[in-house]
Amino acid sequence: MLLQAKHINFSYGEETIFHDFSFGVERGERVVLKGESGGGKSTLMRLLLGFEIPDTGELMYNGSPLEGKHLRHFRRECAWLPQDLNFGTGRVDEVIKYPFHFKQSGNQMPENNQIIDILSDLGLDAEVLDKEFTDLSTGQRQRVGIALCILLDKPVLLLDEPTSALDEASKEKAAHHLLSDPARTVLSTSHDPFWIEKCSRIIDLNSVPDKTGS
Amino acid sequence: MEIIQLSWLQLAFGFIILIIPAAIFWWYNTGLNRKMVIATIRMTLQLLFVGYYLEYLFEYDNTWLNLAWIMVMVVVADFATIDRSDLKTTRSLVIPIFWATFLGIVLINLFFLELVIQLPNFLEAQYAIPITGMVLGNCLRSNVIGINEFYYNLKENNERYLFYLASGATRSEALYPFFQRALQKSANPTLAGMATIGLVSLPGMMTGQILSGSSPMTAIQYQIMIMLAIFSGTILSVFLAILFCNRAVFFDNDMLDESIFKE
Repeated sequence: MLLQAKHINFSYGEETIFHDFSFGVERGERVVLKGESGGGKSTLMRLLLGFEIPDTGELMYNGSPLEGKHLRHFRRECAWLPQDLNFGTGRVDEVIKYPFHFKQSGNQMPENNQIIDILSDLGLDAEVLDKEFTDLSTGQRQRVGIALCILLDKPVLLLDEPTSALDEASKEKAAHHLLSDPARTVLSTSHDPFWIEKCSRIIDLNSVPDKTGS
Repeated sequence: MEIIQLSWLQLAFGFIILIIPAAIFWWYNTGLNRKMVIATIRMTLQLLFVGYYLEYLFEYDNTWLNLAWIMVMVVVADFATIDRSDLKTTRSLVIPIFWATFLGIVLINLFFLELVIQLPNFLEAQYAIPITGMVLGNCLRSNVIGINEFYYNLKENNERYLFYLASGATRSEALYPFFQRALQKSANPTLAGMATIGLVSLPGMMTGQILSGSSPMTAIQYQIMIMLAIFSGTILSVFLAILFCNRAVFFDNDMLDESIFKE
């Protein structure tokens, strides 16, 4: 198993999100998590990325627990698309290029043409690069986030509702860029039948008794 | 040129001018007269206390005593910084801000007092105490702006920080844009002040020196020096305050301890 959760218990205050939840994702799998809003789909990604700590249980990447140096190694190997991407101030151009300056991440700075081509595939003009990120609509922000995930070219993608604000043509292009590499492992959340169909396995958190996983 | 000594009676006479703001406040029913009276009494008592203390400090002019007074000023500035910010007074902030302010002041004092002015006696009270006071007052204001901006911007745009972490950034790489913004915000008031000084306002230190008999050119030389000290001191203390606080307010998983925020 590349990604694994073993007997996770996690609560926000009084509210139990996961009770003895276990699941695993094999290398190269394209898994989509289904379930009602607030059901723990996004929380699962935050747990894997170490943004939340489970009350009990273990999260693993490539056989190592997601803590300390192994957690940082996992973060270098993945790209994450949150549902509502908010970068605050800064031009889109700066927002896209900044992650390519991280020294240990191994990210190669993309050519301008490459950035423009991917933005264009997602239905954004090159002019968007000169705009303030805060001036973009929710849909445009999501497209910039997807473009960044594509450009980062990581072996693992964690995508939270990646197609929720895309039109049909952009969805097709986004799915092509994000899912075409068979070596890439993708864990996503979605309510979109188009995206769900593109994935190789569905985990329905609603049908899991006490979210015990599969 | 001798300065005209003020008698206590003359000073007391000066308070009569407060009738004007008091009348304006009363006419517009602002409710500020009580505040004005309290603030005036506090200002007078605090300055009288400092005046008596400084007379004593200047008379003895002992390096250790001067250093102790500087430490007291730094501690007061430390608590005032957190009190005026929107953050809680916790150990994880009080101690780092104290060291940041203290180191900032020590470095600025050593440079200006010992290398530039070349005082005959180390930390001579006549120079060390007023210069430290001026730099500290400005450090306090800049630190409040800097740490508020840094932590509240991080709270508001947390997704950006998390996105960078999830893209392989180290904690300091992911915090870089927030640091950049906090430095810009805290430096702007001092930079704006430097750009208009002499044109819009005559600074207090220079005015005081001219009143006490210094030539305007000597007063200006000191004013330029103090502006350099204030600017470099504030930037250094903001930088160190955020740097030191960050070592105490993040968990091992790089998440910010949100208990530092006031409810």
